[in-house]
Amino acid sequence: MNEGEQAVADAYGSLQRALAEHRDDLAPFAERGATKALAVLWQVMNGLDLDPGQLYELGV
Amino acid sequence: MADQPYWNPRHETMPREELAGLQLRKLRRLVEWADASVPWHSKRLRDAGVTADQLESLDDLRRIPFLSRDEWMRAQQDNPPFGSILAAPQERAIRYHMTSGTTGSTPLRVLDSMKDWEWIAEMWCYGLWGFGVRPADTLFVAFGYATFIGFWGLHYAGEKLGCLVLPGGAMTTEQRVKQIVEMGATVVASTPTYALRMAQEARELGLDLSGSSVRLLILSGEPAGSIPATKRLIEEQWGAKAGDTAGMTELGTIMIFECSEQPGGTHLIEDHYIEEVVDPITDEPVGYGELGERVVTSFGRGFIPVLRYRTRDLVVRQPASTCTCGRTFDLYEGGIRGRVDDMKLIRGTNVYPRAVEAIVREYAEIDEFQIHLYTEDGIRDEIEVLVEIPHGDANAILARLTKSLADAHEGLRFGVRQAENGSLPRFELKAKRVVDERVVIGGEGERRT
Repeated sequence: MNEGEQAVADAYGSLQRALAEHRDDLAPFAERGATKALAVLWQVMNGLDLDPGQLYELGV
Repeated sequence: MADQPYWNPRHETMPREELAGLQLRKLRRLVEWADASVPWHSKRLRDAGVTADQLESLDDLRRIPFLSRDEWMRAQQDNPPFGSILAAPQERAIRYHMTSGTTGSTPLRVLDSMKDWEWIAEMWCYGLWGFGVRPADTLFVAFGYATFIGFWGLHYAGEKLGCLVLPGGAMTTEQRVKQIVEMGATVVASTPTYALRMAQEARELGLDLSGSSVRLLILSGEPAGSIPATKRLIEEQWGAKAGDTAGMTELGTIMIFECSEQPGGTHLIEDHYIEEVVDPITDEPVGYGELGERVVTSFGRGFIPVLRYRTRDLVVRQPASTCTCGRTFDLYEGGIRGRVDDMKLIRGTNVYPRAVEAIVREYAEIDEFQIHLYTEDGIRDEIEVLVEIPHGDANAILARLTKSLADAHEGLRFGVRQAENGSLPRFELKAKRVVDERVVIGGEGERRT
């Protein structure tokens, strides 16, 4: 991965952790926005063949 | 970025051996997921003695049983409304769609999660980007936006690319054509049939589409997008390049697209699907250059895992090297050639509607047509082609078309008749130009041959 791709992958990891560990701390606008963003970034992880798995348990 | 010809250069130019490795990894994950999440799949896999860790090469894919539309439908009927095929609870879904009913009268119903819906747009991005659509484009979507999935994914792909997207739902053809011209659309998405219909409407309105801003047409929904004569006619009437794509509701999106090199075929999106081509009778694989049925395994939609789905689409696979675009994704020469159940047997001769259309579309004077099958004297199958010829020497066209059709079908006699202008049906989505009124004997669906 190049530096830009690594940065996106890191952002994906952060978002995933935020939803898995802090979902209840987020207001609706933040929780829904993060969920939508994770669905979008999943495509990048998949396109980089980083095995992002399934995200249905996070509502994605 | 806009100069980059590939949506995902790493995968689209990946050497075939590496691509096979990527597919195998994804196949193992898919089988593992289906086995763990969908008891219906788990039983089928167990009955076949297949587990993810046993898949050592792509050849092992053949150990997994085919999935037919009938099986899917039975699962849906046994456990309505969606069947026992969902890998996640229904409340996780954000989208509902259903098939258009091309095959069979009962539609299949599908659900997508947020991630899967994004993936559906992602597949369209391969096609749009690969045919030359870029963020600066204005994309008009000539589509009714209902529960049929159609161009929904394309709409969101256009937004993802950064295009200005003009949703053309709930409009008359006149309104659509006017908006395309007035808004300076540079890309138009529609079925091939409807592209011709809009061109006809533009002529009647005195609008010059070939002088408009439209430079690209994205076609889908019918095999006609890869019929050379139909495509040529569309390109002439619009003064734009037309690119074919094909998808299906069962997978939610497109699987194949034509690149900007227009190689006479459509690339398979092989980093997201495994496409097999088999003999529809023997189920054995067929090689490059041979006509067979597409069988598709999809890595994308996790909500409804799809393993070895019998599409009934007829295709001819060719190696990637037959295109000059640099992609390593193989192609289907001529796109989707038709469907296994499309063929009509007329007095011992096989007739495919696509082949008839390919001949009819050689005559630019013909606006619309219909294939009519009926029984004469209670015993003899007949085929006639009704054509609308608003301009030109109708008698001469009828005579030439009659001969062309017979020559292409072992001398089979076609009746060719002129229909009144505007009398034949027009279609916005999938065209239904075959009217089969032959005598039916015995039980439902049993026909005299």
